[in-house]
Amino acid sequence: MAGRGGGRGRRMMTFSVEAVGITRGDSLPPSIQQPTPLFPVMEQKPLPLTAGEEEEYLLALKQEFRGAMKSLPCFIQPTAAHRDVERYSDKYHSSEQTEALTDWTPDWKRLPKELRVKKPPRGGVSAAVSRSDKLQSGQKKKKVKEKEEVLLKLETLQKKEEGQSSEDEEEEGEEKKKKQEEEEAEGEEEYDEEEFEEETDYVMSYFDNGEEFGGDSDDNMDEAIY
Amino acid sequence: MTAQEVRLCGLLLREHFGEVVEKVGTHLLKGGAQNLRTIIHETGISLDLVKKSLCVLVQHGACVFRSGRKGAGSPTEYQTCCDRILRILRYPRYIYTAKTLYGDTGELIIEELLQRGHMTMSGTIKTVADRLTQNMEEGRSMDYSEVSSAFFRLVETHFLQRCPPLAGAEPKDSATPAAPAPPGTPAAPVGVWNMLTHGDEGICWQVNFERFHLHFRDQAIISAVANKLDQTSSEIVRTMLRMSEVTTSPTATCTKPLSANEIFRSLPTSYNIPRPILDQYLTLLIDDPMEFVGKAGESGGGMYVVNMHRALANLARATLESVVQERFGSRSARIFRLLLRKRHLEQKQVEDFAMIPAKEAKDMLYTLLSQNLVQLQEIPKTPDYAPSRTFYLYTVNQLPTARMLLQNCYKTVANLVERRLFESKESKRLLEKSQRIEAILASLQASGAEPEQLTEVEEMITAPEKQQLEALRLHINKLDSAENQVDETIFLLESYINSTASTS
Repeated sequence: MAGRGGGRGRRMMTFSVEAVGITRGDSLPPSIQQPTPLFPVMEQKPLPLTAGEEEEYLLALKQEFRGAMKSLPCFIQPTAAHRDVERYSDKYHSSEQTEALTDWTPDWKRLPKELRVKKPPRGGVSAAVSRSDKLQSGQKKKKVKEKEEVLLKLETLQKKEEGQSSEDEEEEGEEKKKKQEEEEAEGEEEYDEEEFEEETDYVMSYFDNGEEFGGDSDDNMDEAIY
Repeated sequence: MTAQEVRLCGLLLREHFGEVVEKVGTHLLKGGAQNLRTIIHETGISLDLVKKSLCVLVQHGACVFRSGRKGAGSPTEYQTCCDRILRILRYPRYIYTAKTLYGDTGELIIEELLQRGHMTMSGTIKTVADRLTQNMEEGRSMDYSEVSSAFFRLVETHFLQRCPPLAGAEPKDSATPAAPAPPGTPAAPVGVWNMLTHGDEGICWQVNFERFHLHFRDQAIISAVANKLDQTSSEIVRTMLRMSEVTTSPTATCTKPLSANEIFRSLPTSYNIPRPILDQYLTLLIDDPMEFVGKAGESGGGMYVVNMHRALANLARATLESVVQERFGSRSARIFRLLLRKRHLEQKQVEDFAMIPAKEAKDMLYTLLSQNLVQLQEIPKTPDYAPSRTFYLYTVNQLPTARMLLQNCYKTVANLVERRLFESKESKRLLEKSQRIEAILASLQASGAEPEQLTEVEEMITAPEKQQLEALRLHINKLDSAENQVDETIFLLESYINSTASTS
């Protein structure tokens, strides 16, 4: 305790200095001010790698194994990022992937039932891909969906107008067109009358333009004409 | 499962199975046993991809599943263990060993099984035979019986084993480790191999890593004896190990005692040493401080055993000493060896025994202490632990130091893998260009083009780019080779640590 009190202010260690071998006059190594460098200088260089036929063969085996694993169905690729525009080469890329995926059928008896991926014929993989695609696209903004809906509507309308390619459909179309014209004409006539009526303030039945005056008197000749 | 192990496992999974499996695998490693819903929820990966990843992991034995712990109705839980994934580092060594023991056929069988995880026998034989036929000349094709005989031999020597049956699966007839009799040898015309008629669906075979590890351990002991003593002694030890291959259990401390007469009879005929010389060699082996061989009795001309665990401990000790020597110099290594032998020493005693001046000895000791290779033990004289009245002794504990170095090795391999991935990524554009040009060249050659066209295509890669590619290839080969060699150290340290765990 006395020794500790006397040494206050100067360098203090938690263990006895003499026992470990640091005498009074010795200079301690400088205290560390910053983190040690990332690549400290090595006093001893490491030994070179053993190079021989066996090592080279092992190296070749390792690299071949890695390459082979990449082409196996066990190598699972994440679903490809959704491209903004459909590219022509997508048709070729997607076929490569799906071939490898459908190749592998594990022994389902050795796996728990819940891991079984139901694969309906043909549409199976594409359903899985589309499902994951939907999950991804679900995160997209709704504007895209609305745009798609609008596009769909326009397409159906376009189909309705153009779509009649056979003769029957043409005739029907002509009839339809005629009906349309008649409807239009009727509409026009009605429209004209109404407009005509509406323009004047007077009730049309009041106006007598005298054309029917002479016609009536010819029938009754008994009475004299003054 | 330490952080270094998890990191290395993640990198290995990424290289061999893709990033999706890496994410699922590391999540399982960090989180323990989990069920499917938890995995999907916490990793954020879609259901299908998680299912496929789990299938891949279970297929390769990296993941086991069992019904939930909360009772009969709870969902199945999946658990991954580091050990199986770290074996991927050792695959090239397994394949090479199969090649040395069983030729090209054995090599391909082991390679196929390692790539697929586990397969039925008929599937393996068919794939391997097709591959061999591809590499042969036109007109010749591989005989299926040759491939299946290689398969049988691998099974007989336990290098291949049957996949363990699942709990709850239908009880099948337990087939002995010897291969089940194939239902009718293949018909004389090669190629008539109808897989549907072979009723071995459901019997899956996988590689037995433990057996390979025993083989590597034996090889390490034999080569150590050859280095320390001479070729004849190593042949004697090899004979002893071969004789006790079948009778020794994998975790045994030493082999069953063998009499000198038996050893004399079983020596290979090329080694024509007379009986007294054999006795002298055996005496030399016993007296050697490495203690590879021990004497267990006097009957039968002397009973001798090979001490497995002690040999492994000595090999691990030699590894630690060489690590210290290469990193800190031969004098620090002298201090390290001194402390290993003498257990506890004071500062003054270290200086005296090692014959190193005080100042330098102090420096070296503190460096070793800061690297945690040497520990400080306090022994108080008085109950109040006063510093002036306490002994401070330096000591080295072999087992904890070995564990620490093993973690360092895992970190080293992870760093090597990351550096390799970084280098490939940096030069990705160049690598893709060279691959495309190779593809063009190959297609041109196949369609029979003129040499001028070929040189024109070759010149599309400029000379500095060629140099860059060459340097890149050199770096990647070096990194790969370094990974293989660090794995040898990992194997030694792991075997040592496992041997102590089984005895304690």
